[in-house]
Amino acid sequence: MRKGMLNAIFLFVFLLFLSSQTVLSWKKDEFRNCNQTPFCKRARSRKPGACSLIAHDVTISDGDLTAKLLPKEPEGDQIKPLILSLSIYQHGILRLKIDEDPSLDPQKKRFQVPDVIIPEFETTKLWLQRVTTDGASSIVYLSDGYEAVLRHDPFEIYIRDGDRKRLVSLNSHGLFDFEQLRDKKEGDDFEERFRSHTDTRPYGPQSISFDVSFYGADFVYGIPEHATSLALKPTRGPNVEESEPYRLFNLDVFEYIHDSPFGLYGSIPFMISHGKSGKSSGFFWLNAAEMEIDVLGDGWDAEAGISLPTEQGRIDTFWMSEAGVVDTFFFVGPGPKDVVSQYTSVTGRPSMPQLFATAYHQCRWNYRDEEDVENVDSKFDEYDIPYDVLWLDIEHTDGKRYFTWDKVFFPHPEEMQRKLAAKGRHMVTIVDPHIKRDDSFQLHKEATQKGYYVKDATGKDFEGWCWPGSSSYLDMVNPEIREWWAEKFLYENYVGSTPSLYIWNDMNEPSVFNGPEVTMPRDALHYGAIEHRELHNAYGYYFHMGTANGLLKRGDGKDRPFVLSRAMFAGSQRYGAVWTGDNSADWDQLRVSVPMILTLGLAGMSFSGADVGGFFGNPEPELLVRWYQLGAYYPFFRAHAHQDTKRREPWLFGGRNTELIRSAIHVRYMLLPYFYTLFREANISGVPVARPLWMEFPCEEATFKNDEAFMVGNSLLVQGIYTERAKHVSVYLPGKQSWYDLRSGTAYRGGMAHKLEVSEESIPAFQRAGSIIPRKDRFRRSSTHMVNDPYTLVVALNSSQAAEGELYVDDGKSFEFEQGAYIHRRFVFSDGKLASLNMAPTALGKLQFSSECIVERIILLGYTPGPKSALIEPANQKAEIEVGPLQLQRGREAAVVTIRKPGVRIADDWSIKIL
Amino acid sequence: MRLALIYSYVLVLLLSSAVLFIRSAAVSPLYPYLGISPQDEKYYKTTSDRINCKDGSKIFTKAQLNDDYCDCPDATDEPGTSACPNGKFYCRNAGHTPLVIFSSRVNDGICDCCDGSDEYDGNVKCPNACWEAGKVARDKLKNKIAVYQEGIALRKQEVEKAKVAVVKDEAELSKLQNEEKILKGLVQQLKESKERIEKVEEKERLQKEKEEKERREAVEANIVKHETNEEAKQEKSEVEKKVDSENKPLESNHDDKIGLLDDSSPNQDVSDAYDDDHQAAEAEQSITSENAESSVYAVKEHTVEDMVNSVSPKIKDDSALASESEHESQSEASPDQVTEVGNDVSKNTNGLSREELGRLIASRWTRENTEEQTDKDGAEVTDHEGQEEIPKDTNDEEYDGYASDSDDDTGKYDDNTENYDDDSMADEIDEAIEEDQDDTSSSYKSDFDDESDPSDTSTPSNPSWLEKIQQTVRNILQAVSLFQTPVNVSDADRVRKEYDESSAKLSKIQSRISSLKKKLKHDFGPEKEFYSFYDLCFESKQNKYVYKVCPYKQASQVEGHSTTRLGQWDKFENSYRVMIFANGDKCWNGPDRSLQVRLRCGLKNEVADVDEPSRCEYMALLSTPALCLEEKLKELQHKLDLMSKGQRHDEL
Repeated sequence: MRKGMLNAIFLFVFLLFLSSQTVLSWKKDEFRNCNQTPFCKRARSRKPGACSLIAHDVTISDGDLTAKLLPKEPEGDQIKPLILSLSIYQHGILRLKIDEDPSLDPQKKRFQVPDVIIPEFETTKLWLQRVTTDGASSIVYLSDGYEAVLRHDPFEIYIRDGDRKRLVSLNSHGLFDFEQLRDKKEGDDFEERFRSHTDTRPYGPQSISFDVSFYGADFVYGIPEHATSLALKPTRGPNVEESEPYRLFNLDVFEYIHDSPFGLYGSIPFMISHGKSGKSSGFFWLNAAEMEIDVLGDGWDAEAGISLPTEQGRIDTFWMSEAGVVDTFFFVGPGPKDVVSQYTSVTGRPSMPQLFATAYHQCRWNYRDEEDVENVDSKFDEYDIPYDVLWLDIEHTDGKRYFTWDKVFFPHPEEMQRKLAAKGRHMVTIVDPHIKRDDSFQLHKEATQKGYYVKDATGKDFEGWCWPGSSSYLDMVNPEIREWWAEKFLYENYVGSTPSLYIWNDMNEPSVFNGPEVTMPRDALHYGAIEHRELHNAYGYYFHMGTANGLLKRGDGKDRPFVLSRAMFAGSQRYGAVWTGDNSADWDQLRVSVPMILTLGLAGMSFSGADVGGFFGNPEPELLVRWYQLGAYYPFFRAHAHQDTKRREPWLFGGRNTELIRSAIHVRYMLLPYFYTLFREANISGVPVARPLWMEFPCEEATFKNDEAFMVGNSLLVQGIYTERAKHVSVYLPGKQSWYDLRSGTAYRGGMAHKLEVSEESIPAFQRAGSIIPRKDRFRRSSTHMVNDPYTLVVALNSSQAAEGELYVDDGKSFEFEQGAYIHRRFVFSDGKLASLNMAPTALGKLQFSSECIVERIILLGYTPGPKSALIEPANQKAEIEVGPLQLQRGREAAVVTIRKPGVRIADDWSIKIL
Repeated sequence: MRLALIYSYVLVLLLSSAVLFIRSAAVSPLYPYLGISPQDEKYYKTTSDRINCKDGSKIFTKAQLNDDYCDCPDATDEPGTSACPNGKFYCRNAGHTPLVIFSSRVNDGICDCCDGSDEYDGNVKCPNACWEAGKVARDKLKNKIAVYQEGIALRKQEVEKAKVAVVKDEAELSKLQNEEKILKGLVQQLKESKERIEKVEEKERLQKEKEEKERREAVEANIVKHETNEEAKQEKSEVEKKVDSENKPLESNHDDKIGLLDDSSPNQDVSDAYDDDHQAAEAEQSITSENAESSVYAVKEHTVEDMVNSVSPKIKDDSALASESEHESQSEASPDQVTEVGNDVSKNTNGLSREELGRLIASRWTRENTEEQTDKDGAEVTDHEGQEEIPKDTNDEEYDGYASDSDDDTGKYDDNTENYDDDSMADEIDEAIEEDQDDTSSSYKSDFDDESDPSDTSTPSNPSWLEKIQQTVRNILQAVSLFQTPVNVSDADRVRKEYDESSAKLSKIQSRISSLKKKLKHDFGPEKEFYSFYDLCFESKQNKYVYKVCPYKQASQVEGHSTTRLGQWDKFENSYRVMIFANGDKCWNGPDRSLQVRLRCGLKNEVADVDEPSRCEYMALLSTPALCLEEKLKELQHKLDLMSKGQRHDEL
């Protein structure tokens, strides 16, 4: 065996040697496919109808409907019943749990992920009083006419609407399987091997699988993170090319490819369906073990002889997980925004970012030293390009010991940050979860002494290899350790940090270079004897949580944290932003960034982006420019590059390209008030900043598969340019209303595709007729310095000469907005009059926010020129109306009706009537 | 329509004064012509109430000038506010130099103009710091001018010296070419004579062999004779022997290494590149012991250096594949060693440990690669053996703390900065250099190869020597002209010896000719001001690296005993303000290394501030009197005059 292994190693090394020559080299062999993953292989080979579990003893207890699941013909005493419970929550949410019966003393308590469901959600539980039954099924009322039905034999759960039409169901195809824990018997080989790694798997098989069907659905979406299309393609079925299931297993994948169901850095087991009726429904499985999900193509069950209602379109899916319990949530919608809102009512709304974090970020692995930082910073000023945050990657540390600074290259970190802060700029440093095993490193010493590291299968501190070399990993699932970790961010503990410094969590899948699949062995042990396999997908989430809490603690709970994380899980939206990891500088990756970000948004992660320019490789200037033009509309807008790449700061590609990049970044800064308003909307409702077209136009079938274009809020449509030297692009503009080109103001009809000429100056972007977008047209060094600048309102009138929009403003950094310290206006234009109305509840909290900012310009798109003045009420003043440019740029023609200097304050109620 | 406009304008004016107190967020300047340069004031101070946007796109009224609302897309109407994104704001900065800033800096809370005129909305107070800052700037400029003045003198000397030296080189070249012609003739004669002798000898030998067959007893005698012959030959040049023995270990090293790597191509490349040098060096081996020794040195250094250079560099890296653990035990082998294992199975049977796997995976993200590593290891073996021969660090030679204050470069990373020739930037860089305690720099005479040492050829260029050798050859040729059979042994040896010596001298002269030609082919600048650079190397120590820049030759980065070639001399660029070294050692996943050296005026030749702004693309600054140009001095003086005038004006 030894010799064989040795040979394999030589082969491996040899292959690596060969493959180092190729540019793109996704190491497919290093990751398990379904066939190499026993639980997945087993589950996938099950036939529909295999499940014979019957629901017995249906009762109400503790406000839940409970039942026992037993096979039709129990074999001896071997079979212990499973406990099923159904709970109902407000706003149309059904929760289904299935677990082993704790009273039967199973050998181990199966892991249920704590800390993901927010406490507020539990308070919305509706206590069931009674259950109606028709003999074959038990029925409970959900909301708005929706009912949850438990069919008894074989057991099946589904939701139906007032018309008795099904919405979502579980186990309709009888694929449910629950491998109960059992004692190891003579001859049992629980071990699993992959490549050179052995998983001891002391508890043996414990996987769970089941089918979920979505009715009235044409497509399903969600379950990030994969680099693939927005509408999920079938992975099994008669007309489907044999494919891997969508894998949810947080992995650090080197040079990932752009169209693949393989797992990436994050996992959110939440799926949303959508169909022609304009309705959506959703399903979420709270489970942090490895998950594999098949989307089943039409006719996959043709031979199963199972008859489901056929009058509606239906998408069947098959869910498999290695461990844990069934803890699932069904969301009734009916609209796509409702589903996302329902999902985020369970896992939490996205946190409100600081204003600076919504602006442009400049990153590189690595800005070498303080001089480099100063130089890059001053170049932005020299070229009049705004930016808000400068990032430092791993090389800034002293030998990859996080919370330290390289003494030679960064001798004066505080001064460096202060210099940036003086220009209203911030800095972000990286802090990863692997801790260098170095006895002279205080953090390591402390963690070792306190026993804060994840343990290996034998109970010793787990050691893996990462940037610092030999490393151990903090056991962030333990709240005590998270508390301890949070304190490390206090100014006195993180020496060299200042209030303008924020944090980046990378490698938190966790990435373990010498681990199986470049991550932690599944038999590693966490706090409370949790096996790593049970919580793997949530490890990064806990780390993100600990870090965000650290920043909260540092700022006395008054400063909103900013933490960017690579790994994520359901609920990560509460702790900050994520990005799509190590992408590459090619057009396909530019293209796939859009479905990736949209999918993250659907799963609650509204604050996300892809590395502008592509992490690996050197983008051609044209690609870089296009990436900036698209990235300016990403919710999280950051340029980043690998250390082997050539420098690519915006001014390094000649005057014209500098101008184009500057103008792309200017677009973002101009739209900051709009973006910030959208972040607040996400914070209130969970509806993401960047949205698929069908979220805004749910009845337009033409949009269901469109993932080249997307909506920023409800008012902006953006179409990326994903090919070199593009001359034309086809853009589908949905809806009945027209769309105004963002740069020229030209109107295009909605409800059709337009073949448009493409210029190098920008990617196509349009404002929806009927919307009002607040802008700030003065460009400063950073967003911080724009705070007092006046606003421009762009009113795009619809066919009935009406429009409306919103503006949200607060102090941009503190939590005072939670106590009412904000301005939230609704602008309504109708009958030739624009009014600013207060949207904030009249009974505001105890704090107030005021702003002296005024509106300096109001642009009316789609308004026929003629009137020369407008009357401002209640001040009873007049403002001049003229024809002006849509954007203040050289060479722009004056073509749009503009109200000059209305001078009204954004904090006030007012109206402006065109005379 | 016009009436209506005016009407509404008046109305707005009235109203705006009425609501002024609520408009603190957008303030118009009190001085209507704020932000306009004196040359431009005429444009605005017209008697007419209406002014054209400069691009002709629009007309605005005087009341719209600086009213904090952008009317002209080209920003004509808002020179003093931030309303137009394309605008420029002029600060007078009395007492200092006027400054033009982006209008986005107006009322942004940061004092950009030393007179504080860009911040007038009351949110920040900007004190007038122009007088003080102006004084500092003037002093700085004065210093810079002083440096230029002195530098120009130095440069003149340098130019004079270069002129003389070039003439001398050319003279030497033509003389050597003459000698070469003569010597070539002699060598040819000797060769013919030698060949004739050898023909006769060969005949004799064959004859003897024949006889030998017949008379086996005579064999021994014949051998003795032959041996004596050999001995005599060896005695004649002990030097040669010495050279041989000294060269041997290195040569075998070379072979070993090739064997080990099973790939000799990198070395091959290098030796091709240095063919000339090698030839020259080899040619020297048999002349005088003095010369031979120095040439041995040269050869050895070359061998070592070439080998070091030929292999992939030790890269500046602190990441997972940190060098600290590279030489640890086999169980902790790094991926490079793992690769070796692949080549030599018997060596390591431990297989790939977890740690190795970790390093291996880490190496994907970092620039390390296994191929490179193998090469590096090969190099390190040679390094250790050739260690003593490597010249010691030269940084202790003449450290000079002076850092030039006369920088011409405003930025380090790109060429576009010329457009933004801003003194403050340049000063910042200067200061950064001054502060940098880790840097030491020095320059020294290039010991790069023999060609820089004129003494090498001083012996052969002595005319009496040439006459003597001519005479000798004549004598010999006369003496052996009459053929005898059997050949007179001593005559034959004399011919051979003389042939060997002469042809050696010839090739030495030829090599000197070729190196002179090579040198003179180079571009030493319009006034040959860079002539002396040909024989110089500049060193700068930064942290753990020593950067070695040898103009017209190559540049390298040395860390301990490993050397990375940053580039071969390519050319001057940007009218002799930048030196380019290209085609250095290859970077994994990246370009070949290259170095740009930006030149600026300074009193000493010294390299500072070596940087790697982009992966494997290096930058350095070199101060040198060669860049202290008259025109620039005039420019600086003019600038100082302007500044001083402004100041006087201010004081009055």
